[in-house]
Amino acid sequence: MGYVAVTGGQAAIETANNLTQWYRLKDSDRSLKVEDIEHQMRQLINRVMGEGGLYAPEYAAIAVKQAEGDPAEAAFLMRAYRSTLARNYYSETIEPEKMRVIRRISSSFKDIPGGQILGPTYDYTHRLLNFDLRDENHRDALNQILDHLSIDPKHMSVKLTFQKVTDLLREQGLVGNPDPQEQKPFDMTRQKLTFPASRSARLQALSRGETGAMTALAYSSLRGYGAVHPTIGELRVGYAGVAIAYPYDEKESLYIGEMMLTEVETINSFTLNDDGAITFRLGYGLVFGQNETKAIAMAILEQSLETKGKSPTQDEEFVLLHIDSVEANGFVSHLKLPHYITFQSKLDVLRQSRKISMEQKKNEMRDFKGQEV
Amino acid sequence: MAEMSKRRLSKILVNSDLPLLKKISDQAEALAEIRVERAPQTSLVMMKAKDSVSTQPFYMGEVLVTECTVSINDKFGIGVVIGEQPERAYRMAAIDAAFNAGLPIVKEWGPLLIAEEARLAERQNMESARVSESRVNFDTMEEFHDQH
Repeated sequence: MGYVAVTGGQAAIETANNLTQWYRLKDSDRSLKVEDIEHQMRQLINRVMGEGGLYAPEYAAIAVKQAEGDPAEAAFLMRAYRSTLARNYYSETIEPEKMRVIRRISSSFKDIPGGQILGPTYDYTHRLLNFDLRDENHRDALNQILDHLSIDPKHMSVKLTFQKVTDLLREQGLVGNPDPQEQKPFDMTRQKLTFPASRSARLQALSRGETGAMTALAYSSLRGYGAVHPTIGELRVGYAGVAIAYPYDEKESLYIGEMMLTEVETINSFTLNDDGAITFRLGYGLVFGQNETKAIAMAILEQSLETKGKSPTQDEEFVLLHIDSVEANGFVSHLKLPHYITFQSKLDVLRQSRKISMEQKKNEMRDFKGQEV
Repeated sequence: MAEMSKRRLSKILVNSDLPLLKKISDQAEALAEIRVERAPQTSLVMMKAKDSVSTQPFYMGEVLVTECTVSINDKFGIGVVIGEQPERAYRMAAIDAAFNAGLPIVKEWGPLLIAEEARLAERQNMESARVSESRVNFDTMEEFHDQH
């Protein structure tokens, strides 16, 4: 066996690329505007940014257009692009407690201080196809919506920042006090992920995991292939301000903008603390954009990995290595690439086995006939 | 205005209308030579977030930024902003350098920047007020029966 070079494919590859573009455009009379994808396909953009590990809505929209809407391909494009850029800064620690909230709910406590705010959600919407979208006029539709979105003048001074529900629980001694000493986080983009992984490595892997894979695994944990069935202490969506250190004065910081995040804190079972007190076990999820299912799945999986057991979702190598969109898609779709040598060796084994078994059969037959005589 | 922290100034500049940034940075350009030390370029900032369960930080992913460094009379200024925004990054850097170089014109910018800050607060308040209209109270059936 040896290496087989594939030759003469350049023109065919160019044609294949052109065909892709032809199939992308042939049935349309206009090209999709990147701006429209960015602003009107928020959920897809948020997924692609999260799974690509790069918060860049405009670039995610380009990736979505280029990938013809395939989120895995778009996430791949984002990862590939990010690898070409220098990383010059680390942000100051983002504290979602300070986020400008647009949605905040709790399914554990009905009376949370500051109240529950539904914000933008499909949770209470009838799942009926809206055929009006076929002929939607942007200006008319927006004006109509704004007419319905009344503003109460007394709400103009409302600041939508809230204390965390978990902090309230912590104040009441219902949640254990964590280690106050800040530790340097693990960075899986620079260091190889080894097992057992640190908590910061797990959270990083989960935060950029694939929404569907994480949802499936978290669902399995809820259905009995794991040990976690939480209630949501708090789910919040909002804008978090991002700052970096100011390079010319260490006492100053530089604000660089805000990003949308979804944060989930789940309340799980009870645990016995080192000091003998029984407290709640909490799960944690934080993801780019508004991606609530992924944030909940993250909190479930994170907690599942914190518990010992034999279920798939309690095996961190199983979970963390299989939720990565780029790795999973790359590995499965690499099967499309030439495997002629691999297959040739399988064929050789098959032929050899058949030859041996045929000879064996022939010998057995001869022996049998010999006995008959 | 001289006491405005870099965080506050950069927050205003990140959110300001670009024509305003252009207008005031042009004034700096007219008074002093702005040397581009590092032309606007895209790069990454790794996001460090606090896990509220362990209260320890973790890296959640990177954010694309545009950064630019300029100098005025050997005093540096920097502009870093989320997204691909080369002009904004340059204008922010020029304004920052003008503050660091102590150009007298910066005193005139104070009221403009503070007015811009107020406009941002107004925009955010409008959004919060709209969102506030979706505030909800959940009642359990027990309470419902108690009331009736």
